[in-house]
Amino acid sequence: MTDLTRRRLLAAGALSLAAPSVLAACGADRPERPDRQAQDGRPHGEVSVWLHGSQETGPQFEKLVHRYIDEFGVDVKLLYLPVAQLDAKLLTAFGGGAPPDVFKIGHWSFPSHAGKERLAPIDPRAFGAPDVATVLGRYEPGTVAPLSYRGQAYGVPIDLNPAMLYYRRDRFEEAGLDPDKPPTTWEEVAGHSKRLTSADGRRVGLQWLYGDPQWALMTLTALIKGGGGELVSADGTRASLDTEHGIRALEYFAGIGNPRLSNPLGALGLFYSGEAAMVVSGAFLGPALERLGEDTLKPGKDYGVAPMPRWEGSRAVVPAYTWGWGVAAASKNGFTAWHLINYLQGRESVTANLENGIVIPATGWRDAGPRGTSELMEIAASGIPDADFGPAIPAALELAKAASSACDAVAHGRSTPAQAAKDFDATVRLAL
Amino acid sequence: MTLTTKTVEAPAVSPGPGKGGRGRSRREAGAGIVLTIPVAVFFVVFWLVPFCGAVYLSFTDYEMAGAPRWIGLDNYARMLQDPGVWNSAWITVVYTVFTVLPTILLALLVAVPLSGPGRLNRVLRSLVMVPAVMPLAATSMVWVIIYSDRGLANTLLGAVGIEPQSWLTGSDLAIWALVVMVVWKSLGLFVIILTAGLQALPREVYEAAAIDGAGPVTTFRRITVPLLRRTLLFVLVISVAGSMQAFVPAFLLTGGGPADATQVLPYYIWANAFPYEHMGYASALAMTLLVAMLVVSIVQFGFLRGGDE
Amino acid sequence: MRVLRTVWLLSAVAAMLLPIYVMLVVASAPDDTDLGGLVFNGFHLPENLAELFAGEGFPVYFRNSVIYCVGSGALDVLFSSAAGYALAQLSFPGRRVLFVLVVGTLALAPMVMIIPVFLIVKELGWVNTIQGVIVPGMISAFGVFLVRQFALGVPKELIFAARVDGAGELRIFLRVALPLLRPALVTLFLIHFLAQWDNLLWPLIVANDPALWSLPVGLANFQSEHGFNYHLMTAAALVTAVPPFLLLAGLQRYYVAGLTFGGVK
Repeated sequence: MTDLTRRRLLAAGALSLAAPSVLAACGADRPERPDRQAQDGRPHGEVSVWLHGSQETGPQFEKLVHRYIDEFGVDVKLLYLPVAQLDAKLLTAFGGGAPPDVFKIGHWSFPSHAGKERLAPIDPRAFGAPDVATVLGRYEPGTVAPLSYRGQAYGVPIDLNPAMLYYRRDRFEEAGLDPDKPPTTWEEVAGHSKRLTSADGRRVGLQWLYGDPQWALMTLTALIKGGGGELVSADGTRASLDTEHGIRALEYFAGIGNPRLSNPLGALGLFYSGEAAMVVSGAFLGPALERLGEDTLKPGKDYGVAPMPRWEGSRAVVPAYTWGWGVAAASKNGFTAWHLINYLQGRESVTANLENGIVIPATGWRDAGPRGTSELMEIAASGIPDADFGPAIPAALELAKAASSACDAVAHGRSTPAQAAKDFDATVRLAL
Repeated sequence: MTLTTKTVEAPAVSPGPGKGGRGRSRREAGAGIVLTIPVAVFFVVFWLVPFCGAVYLSFTDYEMAGAPRWIGLDNYARMLQDPGVWNSAWITVVYTVFTVLPTILLALLVAVPLSGPGRLNRVLRSLVMVPAVMPLAATSMVWVIIYSDRGLANTLLGAVGIEPQSWLTGSDLAIWALVVMVVWKSLGLFVIILTAGLQALPREVYEAAAIDGAGPVTTFRRITVPLLRRTLLFVLVISVAGSMQAFVPAFLLTGGGPADATQVLPYYIWANAFPYEHMGYASALAMTLLVAMLVVSIVQFGFLRGGDE
Repeated sequence: MRVLRTVWLLSAVAAMLLPIYVMLVVASAPDDTDLGGLVFNGFHLPENLAELFAGEGFPVYFRNSVIYCVGSGALDVLFSSAAGYALAQLSFPGRRVLFVLVVGTLALAPMVMIIPVFLIVKELGWVNTIQGVIVPGMISAFGVFLVRQFALGVPKELIFAARVDGAGELRIFLRVALPLLRPALVTLFLIHFLAQWDNLLWPLIVANDPALWSLPVGLANFQSEHGFNYHLMTAAALVTAVPPFLLLAGLQRYYVAGLTFGGVK
C-alpha cells in the first residue's frame, strides 16, 4: 500500500516536471523568426544587454550606447553583473525562459549555449552584409572561430587576449638579470624565477593566476601542447593529464610561484606591488596597470612585455581567450540586437577600446589608435596567428575547472602531480 | 527534530461525537479545511512536488534544455568515480565535526556561569545573541577583512609572536578560517538555548549536591550534563543538520577554494547545478546528502536515547 | 571563584563582539589604506553612509529587503496561524496527512529542493518576479508546527463556550484563538524576518533584475557596482545588520522563546 502510494507520488512529480519541459522542447517557446518588423532593415523597440562591469571602460561604452539610442530610437537596457556571477545568472535566465537579448560572454561558454539552441546565429542583414562570411571577414583570421559551433557563427569578438609575459624591470635589475632580455623559454622562466624568489617565498618570480579555471586551462595548454603533447584529443571527446607531458606540466606549474600570496586583485595586484616579478596575462593588463594607482607603472621603464614563452626548441603555442557578443535565440528583437552589436563593434569603438587595452580584432585594428603601435599591441598581434583558444566543446567550463583543480591541488601541495592528473582524468572522463 | 516537547504526544483534542452534533462537526470540518487549504497547497506545490521531482531528476540526465532523459542509476554510479564527491564528502565531515563539537563545548562553558541570576548576566545574555542575528551576508564581509594580510587575525598572531598566515588563500588553513567564522556565528544561539535549558533544571538537585560537598567540576559532569541531555541532543541535531547543509559560508568567504579545500558538499551540488547545468547529477548528489543527514540524525537519536535508559 | 567567573564571561563576550567592533572600525574609515580593523582611523561613518545611500542600488536593495521580509513574514503568520490552529483544535478530514506532510519537510535540506523548486517557479512563469522571490519561502514547517504547539495550549473550555454561544468556527479562530496565540505569532514573525533578511541563495537565483535584488544579493554584487572599496562595503554590511539588531533589542524574549521552543522542557 505504502509502496503503491510512493510510486504514484513519484510518477506525479515526474509528470509535473517533465510535461512542461517536453512541451517547451516541442516548440512552444520557439521565437518567431525572422522577425517581421525588421524586414524594412530598421532597428526598433527595446533591447536588453547583460555584460560584466568595468569601471574604466564603462563611461565611454555608455556614451556609445546613448548615441545609438539617440540615433536609432531604440531603447537599450544595460545590466552590469560581476564576472563571477554572469554565467550563473545567464543560465538561470535561459532556464527560466527570460534571457536578455544581447550578452557579452566568454568564448568558452559559446559551445554549451549553442549546443542547447539558446543562441541566435549571426544575422548578416543587421550588419549590412550579404552573408555571414562577409561579416566574419571583417575580423582577423582565427578570431571568430572560437565563437562558432559546428560551423555556425554565433558571435563577434571583443576583448581578445593572446597570452604574453609581463615582467618587472626593477626586480630583474635587483636580481642581477638583464631587464632588456626577458626570458623566451620556459626553461629560462624557471631559472629566472629561482633567482627572483626570496628566501621566505613572499617575493616570487613568475606568479600564476591561481583559482582561475580559464587561466589554468590556458597555462596547461601552453605547457603541454607547446611541448608536443596533447591535453584534449582533436575531436574533443577525450582529455588526459596522466601523460608524460601532463605530469611534467603539473610539476613545472607547482615549482614556480607561491599560491599563498594574497592580494584583492590577485596575481595582477601582486605584480603591481612587485611581489611578483613576472605574470602571464593578456593585452588588457598594461593599460589597466596605468590606472591602478598614483605611482603608475610605466611600460618600458618599470615593466616590460615579452611574447609567451615556449619550450626550448619547440613551436610557439599562445593560449588565448576572447569575449564575444551573442544574441539569445529566444530574443523577440533579434535583428535590432545584432544591429546594436554591429554599432558597438564599429571603427570608433575599436579606437576607444584600444586605448583601454581592449582589443576588438577587426581587420586593421592596430591602425585605429596610437596605442596600436605600442610594443604591447605588437606582441598581442604577433600572438594571434599562434593563438590557441582550447577545445570548442560544451563541457569547456568543466574542463577548465578540472584544470584549475589539478593545478591548484599540486601548487598547494594537496596532491602529487600523478594523483592530481588521475583526478583530472577521472573528472573529465565524466564530463566529456 | 523539534518533537521533544511533551505537548506533542498529547492527542489533538477534537470534540467527540455527541458534543456538538452532526451539523457542528460538519461545520468544524469545513472550517478546518478552509483554514488549512493554503498551507496544504503550498506544501504540495513547493515541497512535495519538488521533492518527488528531485527524486525523479536524480535518475535522469537533465541539462536544463530539452526533456529529462531516464538513465537509471547512472548518476549514482558516477558519484563513485567522481573525485570531487570524495573530496567534498571529506570536507563536509571535517566541517561538520568542527563547527558542531567545539561550539557546543564552548557554549556549555559560557552558558553554565551565564545562567545564574544577576543584572550583569542578563546584559551579557543579550550581548551574546548579537552575532547570531547578524546576517551572514554582512558578517562574512567582515571576516574577509579579519583574515586579510594585515587584518585582525594576523595582528593577534603577531601579538603572540607568530608570523602572519594566509588564511583564505592557504589550502590548509582556509577550512579552519571558515570553521572559526561559523563557530562565532552560532555560539550565541547555542548559549541561549543551553542557558534556557539550564534555567529549567531543578534547583534542589544542585542544593543537594552542594550539601554533599561536590565541587563545580563534579557537579557539572554528574548533574548538569546528564540533566541537560535532552537540550544537548536538540542542539546537536539542529547544528549537525545545519552544518551538513551549509552553503552560504563557503559561497561568500572562499568560493569553495583555494584548490577546492572548502568545497563542502552543498557547494559542490550548487556548482554542478548552476554553472554546469547537470541538474540530474546535482539532484542525485542532493539525495545522497539527504540520506546521509537522515542516517546521521537517526544515529544521534539512537546514541543519546540509548544512553538514557 | 566569583571573580574568575566574571572575568571569563566578560572576555568570552568581548571576543564574540570583537568582529562587530572591527566592522565598525572599517565602516568608519575614510579609505582602504588601513584595513587592520583594530584602531579607528577617524570617524567617517556618516560620510560613508551618505555615499552609500546616494548610490543607485543600495536604497533599492534595502527597500526590497524590507518588503520581502515584512511581506513574507506577514503571510507566514497569516497562513501558519490558520493552519496551526486548525491542526491543533479542529477535526477535519486529512488532518493527519497534512501534519505528516508538514513535519516531514523539516528533514529536507533547502539544497535538496532548490533545483526542482526553481523549475516549478519557472513553469509558473515567476522567474524574475516579486512573487517568485517571496512565495516559495513564504511558509515554513517550523511556523506551522510552532503555532500548533501553542494552539494545543488554548483551553478547550473557551472554544466550547464560544460554540455554545453560537459563534461560527472562523469567528472563534479570529476572536478567541488569535489573541491568545499572539506571543507565538510575534515569535514566528521575528524568526521568519531574521531568516529571510539573510536569505541570499533564493533571490540570487530567481531575480535577474537588480530592481528586485535584496540586500544580501546586493552585497554579493557590491564589487561590480563600487569596485574594490572595502570601507564602503563594510558600511553597507553594517547597515544590513541594523534592522535585525533593532528587532532583537525590542523583541528579545520572543526570540529566546522561539529558539528554545522544542529544546527545553
